[in-house]
Amino acid sequence: MSQLEFVQGNIACGKGAIAAGCTFFGGYPITPSTEVAEYMAAALPKIEGGCFIQMEDEIAGIACAIGAAWTGARSMTATSGPGFSLMMENIGYAFMTETPCVIVNVQRGGPSTGQPTMAAQGDMMQARYGSHGDYSIIALCPATVQECFELTVKAFNLSDQFRCPVFVMTDEIIGHMRERILIPDSVEIIRPKPAKPTDLPFGTDESDIPGFLPFGSGQRIHVTGLTHDERGYPDSSSYQRHEMLIKRLVHKIESRRHEIADYEIVNPDAKIIFICYGVPARTVQQLAAQDKAIGYLRLRIVWPFPEEVLKQFKNVTTFIVPEMNLGMISREIERHTAIPVVSVGKIGGDLHTAQELQEVANAYKTAGGQR
Amino acid sequence: MKAQVKEDWFRKDRLPHIFCVGCGNGTIINCVVDAVFHLDLDIDKTVFLSGIGCSSRAPGYMASDSLHTTHGRALAFATGVKLGRPEFDVIVYTGDGDLAAIGGNHFIHACRRNIDMTVVCMNNQIYGMTGGQGSPCTPIGKLSTTTPYGAQETPFDLCELAVGAGANYVARWTSYHVKELRNAVITGIETPGLSFIEVLCQCPTSFGNKNKIGEGVEHASYLRKNAMLLQKARRMEEEGKKIPPETFIVGEYVKRSRPVMGGKT
Amino acid sequence: MMKQLTINETLCKGCNLCTIICPYRIFQIGTTPNRRGIYIPKLYKPGRCTNCRLQDLYGRQLCGTCALICPDQAISWETVSQYKKPEIMIEY
Repeated sequence: MSQLEFVQGNIACGKGAIAAGCTFFGGYPITPSTEVAEYMAAALPKIEGGCFIQMEDEIAGIACAIGAAWTGARSMTATSGPGFSLMMENIGYAFMTETPCVIVNVQRGGPSTGQPTMAAQGDMMQARYGSHGDYSIIALCPATVQECFELTVKAFNLSDQFRCPVFVMTDEIIGHMRERILIPDSVEIIRPKPAKPTDLPFGTDESDIPGFLPFGSGQRIHVTGLTHDERGYPDSSSYQRHEMLIKRLVHKIESRRHEIADYEIVNPDAKIIFICYGVPARTVQQLAAQDKAIGYLRLRIVWPFPEEVLKQFKNVTTFIVPEMNLGMISREIERHTAIPVVSVGKIGGDLHTAQELQEVANAYKTAGGQR
Repeated sequence: MKAQVKEDWFRKDRLPHIFCVGCGNGTIINCVVDAVFHLDLDIDKTVFLSGIGCSSRAPGYMASDSLHTTHGRALAFATGVKLGRPEFDVIVYTGDGDLAAIGGNHFIHACRRNIDMTVVCMNNQIYGMTGGQGSPCTPIGKLSTTTPYGAQETPFDLCELAVGAGANYVARWTSYHVKELRNAVITGIETPGLSFIEVLCQCPTSFGNKNKIGEGVEHASYLRKNAMLLQKARRMEEEGKKIPPETFIVGEYVKRSRPVMGGKT
Repeated sequence: MMKQLTINETLCKGCNLCTIICPYRIFQIGTTPNRRGIYIPKLYKPGRCTNCRLQDLYGRQLCGTCALICPDQAISWETVSQYKKPEIMIEY
């Protein structure tokens, strides 16, 4: 029997993780993400094989989550801006070693300590490009508490399916907002593709995704962050090897970005199209309900960016991108379209009001992209 | 699966290893392998971990599952592995720069939690892999590429640090004392809780060369000559005698039974 | 059946650590380079090795410090099937 509850977004993330079969949480408390850790600390010891550990810092938090992932557990960590910055090296490590794990980032105002108790969407570019070297990741952006639950479950499935770290990029507003959510009896769980005994630990077929061989499976694998061959053995001086490995790791996600893509389109024939993700989407939804002359694209998965979707808007003259930063995803959209893109950035922790967005939309309605 | 012969613990297709001629790291790997073979551990249920550095290439030569992680974070990764599968035997190879400098915080917290694992620190008193920079274990006055006028800072005593932080078993030997080292690793694996074994080892390429100690043989002889048993050092301290400089105190620092995290059930 | 001390020439890097640890001084510094240019230590009267003589009798490894200190895993004991009279010298 499914269950109705009235909870915060952070708790919904925790409930989603438990529903998805998460058995390991390693983390460090940081405002505004602490409720995720608190919920997991209470819930995991009641689960068979469940383990919660509060580490000495965020670096250790993600490190032990990656370590636990290699024992076959579904593992996660949760953090916010400054902790997310600390995790960057090990996120690159998780990508290089193809370790499935989930990182919940409850975004707050930055840079530095900034505004610990206020919302922002300033980590969107760091999530995509924060670690060194070329890589590609998957980032999900919930806009409601229900989505915090659903997208956390989805994050676990995507991370196992693609064997990469997956981010749930919520923010302080959704994290601390209480809403009614419906928790189903069971959720769909996709585990990593099992490896055949003859498979090499990092050898792949045409899918580019190797089967997962956790520790203790008897295959005795060597996992390294160095450039490695199909056996997992380091081979860092060959440029062909490095190019082959990194291109495969990027390709396995980028080539499937339309398969991964998850979005909502309302009124695609409008001239003014809002592109939004996360909490500003709520204001856009409110606006679209009042003004039939505008449409919107709401991204539930921002990275990898599904640029083909932009072609669905035939009549569009202006894309308006409201974000709680000074323009991050708007630049990504500019890369993919010739249509003018207007960034409506707002920082400081306050949401855009419907009035503000309406004024921007009105300014571009007649001008056709030129104010 | 159990090993039939000691060589089963090595990835034979990876040998010979990358360590320089006369490097003590290979000796330490031998002693650990001899210990795990003596204890008849299950190869499939043993995990070797490491961070970054010369020492940290060691898990790549082990036939069991192994995780070569980021600089200094091996103990944090090991915590995840051990808590994920408490029935595993977890052994961490690390170096002085990896453990004491960038990983210092993880080290004291792993000791405090007393997680059931064995940490073997190959202390060559220098950053070997990056070409011989000073580490937190470089003794005062010793030369390195970043201490061209002699190191000015007081080095860490890693064993005293581990004792203070709460590890259950702490010992120090050198790569010359192979039998004692092997027995210490055996005791370390058998002792529940965090076992810390510091091994002073020769680095003829960087430390030995810079400080005019010589090649592997001379450096190993230097370690042997300057080693002093802990009991003798304590007796000398009680008698008020001064321990000569450049002395490496070796022996078993502590063996106790503080509460353990992640032990086998 | 008996044991014979051997040095694996492909693994040995010629560091000579074995020459300082053997209590019998069986390992002597090599004088001629092999085809890789490495001076492999020579074995001087290897029949004196405790492990070669007594391993089968005691049923366990004895001494073995040379194999432990060898950083390149090059020293081992091969089982030789042919009986060879051990060259034991009593030194006064």
